[in-house]
Amino acid sequence: MSDENKVPSVLVENVSKWYGQVIGINDVSLAIEGGVTGILGPNGAGKSTLFKLLMGRIKPSQGSVKLFGIDPWQDTSPYRRIGYVSESERLYDWMTGQDFVSTLARLHGMTRNEAESRAEHVLEFVGLYDVRHKEIGKYSKGMRQRVKIAHALVHDPDLIILDEPLHGCDPIARTSIMNVIKELGNQGKTVLVSSHILEEIERITEQIVILHNGRLLALGNIYAIRDLLDKHPHRIMITTEEPRKLANAFISEDPVYGVRFPEEGKLEIQTNDLSAAHSVLPRVIVESKVKVSRIDNPDDNLDSLLEYLIGG
Amino acid sequence: MNIISEKIIDLDGGKTRMEAAYGSDDGDEDLFAITAKREASIGTIFEQNYRPWDGDFGPRWIRNYAIFRHHVFGLFTSKGHRNYNPFIRLTILVIFIGAISPIAMLFFSSLFGSGPDGFIDKMWGINRSNLWGQVLGYFPRNLCYWPLLTALVVGGMISDDRRNGTSAIYFSRPVTRTDYTMMKYLSVAVVLGFVIIFSYMSYYTLAIVFKGEGWGFLIDTLPMFLAGLLCSIALVITYTSIGLALSSISQSRFFSAIAFLSIIYGTKLVALLIDLQFDTSILYILSPYDCLAHFGQWMLGLELNYSHSLSLSIVSLILMNLVSIFILISRVSSLEVTRE
Repeated sequence: MSDENKVPSVLVENVSKWYGQVIGINDVSLAIEGGVTGILGPNGAGKSTLFKLLMGRIKPSQGSVKLFGIDPWQDTSPYRRIGYVSESERLYDWMTGQDFVSTLARLHGMTRNEAESRAEHVLEFVGLYDVRHKEIGKYSKGMRQRVKIAHALVHDPDLIILDEPLHGCDPIARTSIMNVIKELGNQGKTVLVSSHILEEIERITEQIVILHNGRLLALGNIYAIRDLLDKHPHRIMITTEEPRKLANAFISEDPVYGVRFPEEGKLEIQTNDLSAAHSVLPRVIVESKVKVSRIDNPDDNLDSLLEYLIGG
Repeated sequence: MNIISEKIIDLDGGKTRMEAAYGSDDGDEDLFAITAKREASIGTIFEQNYRPWDGDFGPRWIRNYAIFRHHVFGLFTSKGHRNYNPFIRLTILVIFIGAISPIAMLFFSSLFGSGPDGFIDKMWGINRSNLWGQVLGYFPRNLCYWPLLTALVVGGMISDDRRNGTSAIYFSRPVTRTDYTMMKYLSVAVVLGFVIIFSYMSYYTLAIVFKGEGWGFLIDTLPMFLAGLLCSIALVITYTSIGLALSSISQSRFFSAIAFLSIIYGTKLVALLIDLQFDTSILYILSPYDCLAHFGQWMLGLELNYSHSLSLSIVSLILMNLVSIFILISRVSSLEVTRE
């Protein structure tokens, strides 16, 4: 393995950023390399601040940010390998999609022909080939988001940073953009994508970073993170015609420490060991001879995870 | 591009039956609603085929040239370049035509055989006063042409990026803030230079051609021409520095333009009033135009209109440029360093 490969694409060490009295990011450390990583957090959590720090648009008040081992505030060379889609940047609405992407490709030092050819390809990749000669001002919100992604991809970056790329898009545009992001991850590129809508990230990746009030709450696989939260109970929701009979059968099992009946025809099993509870689940149901119509894990999604982590 | 799924909702040939909630079965068999569309597409999802790029990126100067051409070529076409309002383009054209109008007069002079003492030659021919006036004459050049030209060009140069956040387009690429500032500066200076310096050079060159002057005339007048050229460069640099500094502190095109005009006209007016009232020209050191005019008069060997020391004008001119460039650099450094 070469030295370059040992350096993570993104390395953030004890970074804080203050805006006067307001804390944007508070002592965050993380290293990211390869695949799609979702940056999660409610509005104001510090996602955009983190991205701006990564992109050298703001300087950390404390700590260091390194992209491919280089501080972007000191040296802009990592930006040859980075594509960035900011949340709020406006585009050159008078330009066509083709002109916009090829113009920005030339800011990477491409020749005119290279820029034109590459712009056509990335516009095709994001599904805008047919409308590439239309003015951006006439694009829909979803098309504008996709043209932003196209301009970020035009120089074939190794690291792609997407700040709220699904914001304001219709379901079809969301699906298209999600497919684009997943495909980039499959290509081995490092993709950071932020969102405050948890289901979006869940559909793209299992690898997440959770921020709240500028602090790093969790980092890693969503399910692994969930398993680490032992102090919070996991729940298994079973829909059945005889919840009390089934509860009686479960309560004596070791992994189960409590049961509830949240509503008619539903049994909530509380456990600190989700895997163990699931392993006994089939046997108990079969032995109790109770008809079960549905089994859910309400805590196994990002919503509940964030709720637990921020103490909601 | 391959379409992997496309779903069409066919709304039954554009007609759908309405059922009356409380109606009987009698008489409502013929009720229909006409839908707006026969078909409603719910969209298309595309298959993604990403192809890596293995070309080489050009060096720094190619990236910088891309910034430069974006701003300068935009004057001619907005296809792939900065979008200048047609009114701005038209005004710049009018200013350029106005700036080269003495060439037309010299052309007529050559056609009609006017001698060196003729009216046209005195008014527009090559001499110290006219070379100075071609760049630094107050009317119409420094009253109308140059300030208006600068205001129109610098108006949105940085303030647009500040307002729209489009500086991210540059800074998310291997473009440093130094490159960004330098290329913006160069772009404005080249546009101003194209109108001011090019018209000055054209005037001098074509005057010689039209009048059929020889090497002796050229050698006689070349020092004056070079002095005027130096003055025009100083004017372009000063106006660019002040204009861009104002553009960098604002999020509004209008503010930048109006602030520039206010500085040029306001300082001149105040200094003029003080001069008339108290018979002292010292306040002219606050006026960028007058500092340049003072310097230009000395360079071209003309009688000075100002009673204060030339050194003060030159120091003032240098300070104006330094302060403007300092403001420009510090504001570009802080670009994006704001609370969102």
